Amino acid sequence: MPITKDSVRKLEDIVGTDNIKNDIADLYIYGSDSSVHKALASVVVRPTKTEQVQAILRYANAELIPVIARGSGSGMSGQAVPIDGGIVMDMKKMNRILEIRPEDMLCRVEPGVVDDDLNRALKPHGLFYPPAPASSRVATIGGEIANNASGIRSVKYGATRDSVLGMKVVLANGDLITLGSNTRVEASGYQLDRLMVGSEGTLGIIVEATLLLKPIPKFRCLARANFDKLKDAGESISEIIATGALPSMLELMDNIAITAVNTTLKMGLPDVEAIVMFEADGKVKETVDAEMKLMKEICEKHNGYGIEMSYDTAIRTKLYAGRKKLFAALSRYQMGLSCTSLADDMAVPYSKMAECASKIHEIAKRNNVVMTAYGHCGSGCMHTKILMDPTKKEQWEGAKRAVEEVYEYVRSVGGTTSAEHGIGLSKAPAWKKEKADSLAMLKAIKKAFDPNNILNPHKLQDAPEDWFSATEIRYPVE
Amino acid sequence: MAKKYLKEWNNELNICIRCAYCFEGCPVFKVTGWETDTARGKTILAYGVVSGELEPSQYIADKLFQCTYCRDCSERCSANVSVVDILAAARADLVEAGFASDTHKGMAKNVKETGNIFGDKEIKAPTQQGDVPVFIGCQYLARPNQTKMYLKILEKLGVKPLIKDEICCGYPLHALGFRKEFEEHKKKFLELYPEKDIVALCPTCAAYIHEEYGKNVKHITQAILEHLPEKNLGLKATYHDPCDLSRVMGITEEPREILKKLGVEIIEMPQNRKTSQCCGGGGGILMSDVNLSDDIASLRIKQAIATGAPLLITPCPTCEQVLKKAAAVMKEKGNGSIQVKNLNDIVWKALKS
Ligand SMILES: Cc1cc2nc3c(=O)[nH]c(=O)nc-3n(C[C@H](O)[C@H](O)[C@H](O)COP(=O)(O)OP(=O)(O)OC[C@H]3O[C@@H](n4cnc5c(N)ncnc54)[C@H](O)[C@@H]3O)c2cc1C
Ligand code: SF4
Ligand code: SF4
Repeated sequence: MPITKDSVRKLEDIVGTDNIKNDIADLYIYGSDSSVHKALASVVVRPTKTEQVQAILRYANAELIPVIARGSGSGMSGQAVPIDGGIVMDMKKMNRILEIRPEDMLCRVEPGVVDDDLNRALKPHGLFYPPAPASSRVATIGGEIANNASGIRSVKYGATRDSVLGMKVVLANGDLITLGSNTRVEASGYQLDRLMVGSEGTLGIIVEATLLLKPIPKFRCLARANFDKLKDAGESISEIIATGALPSMLELMDNIAITAVNTTLKMGLPDVEAIVMFEADGKVKETVDAEMKLMKEICEKHNGYGIEMSYDTAIRTKLYAGRKKLFAALSRYQMGLSCTSLADDMAVPYSKMAECASKIHEIAKRNNVVMTAYGHCGSGCMHTKILMDPTKKEQWEGAKRAVEEVYEYVRSVGGTTSAEHGIGLSKAPAWKKEKADSLAMLKAIKKAFDPNNILNPHKLQDAPEDWFSATEIRYPVE
Repeated sequence: MAKKYLKEWNNELNICIRCAYCFEGCPVFKVTGWETDTARGKTILAYGVVSGELEPSQYIADKLFQCTYCRDCSERCSANVSVVDILAAARADLVEAGFASDTHKGMAKNVKETGNIFGDKEIKAPTQQGDVPVFIGCQYLARPNQTKMYLKILEKLGVKPLIKDEICCGYPLHALGFRKEFEEHKKKFLELYPEKDIVALCPTCAAYIHEEYGKNVKHITQAILEHLPEKNLGLKATYHDPCDLSRVMGITEEPREILKKLGVEIIEMPQNRKTSQCCGGGGGILMSDVNLSDDIASLRIKQAIATGAPLLITPCPTCEQVLKKAAAVMKEKGNGSIQVKNLNDIVWKALKS
């Protein structure tokens, strides 16, 4: 059903005139995220409380209007892009921290709370919320749950799914349900709260979340090691994990990433094939020392050298600066090339890290695009980006082939299409191949939750077969 | 609408990865909460206009003008996107297409007719011969007592200012999209100031003369610091970094060192130095959208009050003006109080004692 003037009035009655936008300029802006996709919202609403979310969904369900929940729109796969128009429901105004319970190591928040804001509020209690995606300064808790976000410290603290105890969800028909509990363990039937994690707004709207917290470690030590061979770096990572060492961060940067950082930001990193960064944290310094010693020895065994290590915050910041500024560097890698979010994050088994990075380089070369390999390798996550001239059709042809070939490889080694950025539209074709034998079940689950298919339609299992033509592309392709 | 200026920024619009990192500190977004008001929102609009996917409208123009030019977005940007340059280009195209607001048009006319943004013929620089060219700027010229104070400070410190019959630095014309008027003005400005080295009193003029005309500009705080003796005023204060001074000129420590030298204990706001939050006075919104400017100022003054300091010090005349107003409103509403003073008041107090 298209949005009519009457629908806008109805929605205005629910959220108030200050919380609705339908100028074409707003609809255009709310039609894209950090992916290559774009579409046009039909109307943007900003609920401030659960009852409003319920009322919006009741109305939309009766009128068969799509509803697309939106946090900050930092998703990289088009998850929040309103492919068919509809009501874009901006959740950022539901941003209250409802309670912090240090004695239970949990907090209760509304979905629009920004990750960093939550961590700022937790700090005086000596606690933190661990998932830490790089985008934590803008990503909302709702968006993180809906994507199962993770980050540099997930190697030790897990992904979002490991930090969510429960939640309140508004279903497509407007009903409010409570999932999970306030406890660390639960064996009470189907874990529907877990099902919501990573559901990308297709099963229900998260209106409240109960999150598990961790104590802020007293000591943190970071090291950076250089490798002349990517393979050696990969083997170090694999062995660090296999020996049972407990890094709180284990990152890889390939030579393209290093070159990007050096040429654009003059970082002065050594011009080697790979850099591995490893970190340990904890309450007892001797334990952290021991972890660091073990990881250092493993790196050295695999020809890692020039290892710099420090507990000092300023030095750690300096050691990590190249990785932190990588995105900026990739964006400026070469005049005329843009950094596109394609085939941007997959996970492969530890032993395949180095091979995966080499494959990515081969594939990029073959298809005349630039691709780098880096990521939170300690949790099996490999990031890349496709750097290309987004105005040229032939570059997109190359990118399409590269995406396909990368995922073919990832599947062949038992990896997965997305480690943390989600599936949305651009990764859906590859993901459907990965999940071929469970697609029917996934569709049945969607139908059970959302029989009228109003919640973020045409995503995940229902996404179009070709990502390139799924929506318009946000770049001016010739 | 011709996209004469915006077209040049096509590549930059493709470089933006639409990551939303620019949401974090944007003062306009902090007030409205709508993505349309963020740098990402604005660059998407610019893309829409330049690609022809969006028809320019008054609403789009308003959105592209609702920006304080604080550059917090560029500071935090994942891809170093020059947001204000894109906006300046978009504004120039919009102005040429007839979307300029009446207040902005009035300002451009004022500069042309009187050399200052206020259109006040009585505003005149106190010309004098000296060794160091000092640029006062419209805001301070409109406050002759403060100008006098700064000049006395410089003289006390042994600097002999050369003051010309100056005209506006040209920034407002450029930032608000009056390119034709700006080009004429620029010629006049450069004829008046052939010197390479200039000391500027106002942070925005300093940043602009440095960036646009490539001059070696010292801000007055740098000049003062070089010659200032130590004193002990025994004050406690918080310091507000003007955006153009901290983010554009990178001058964050000199004013703090001045205050320390004068025995002022600084209690920092959490958003300080390069992540300082804008006062709401820049980018032309003080003229065209005073309510938005007031709302932004009130956010900043709340942060200042939260430090518990009785005094806020800033070296910028515009920040001083809008923050003073916000502090008065806070006090009236019983939401706490803080005194707002210009840095020159503090320096003068110390030098007099
Ligand atoms: C520069 C950059 C770096 C990034 N780094 C990381 C990283 O290290 N790790 C990582 O995991 N991700 C990363 N991301 C991806 C992205 O930031 C995360 O996926 C984040 O969790 C998205 O949050 P958001 O609030 O922006 O959600 P959005 O993009 O607005 O939405 C994402 C999805 O969540 C759904 N959703 C949002 N709110 C709700 C709700 N309340 N209820 C139900 N569904 C909802 C939407 O419908 C959509 O499907 C990065 C992105 C960028 C641009
Ligand atoms: S931070 Fe920079 S790259 Fe990211 S959306 Fe904003 S302007 Fe674009
Ligand atoms: S310059 Fe300041 S006000 Fe303008 S978009 Fe950037 S952060 Fe927002």
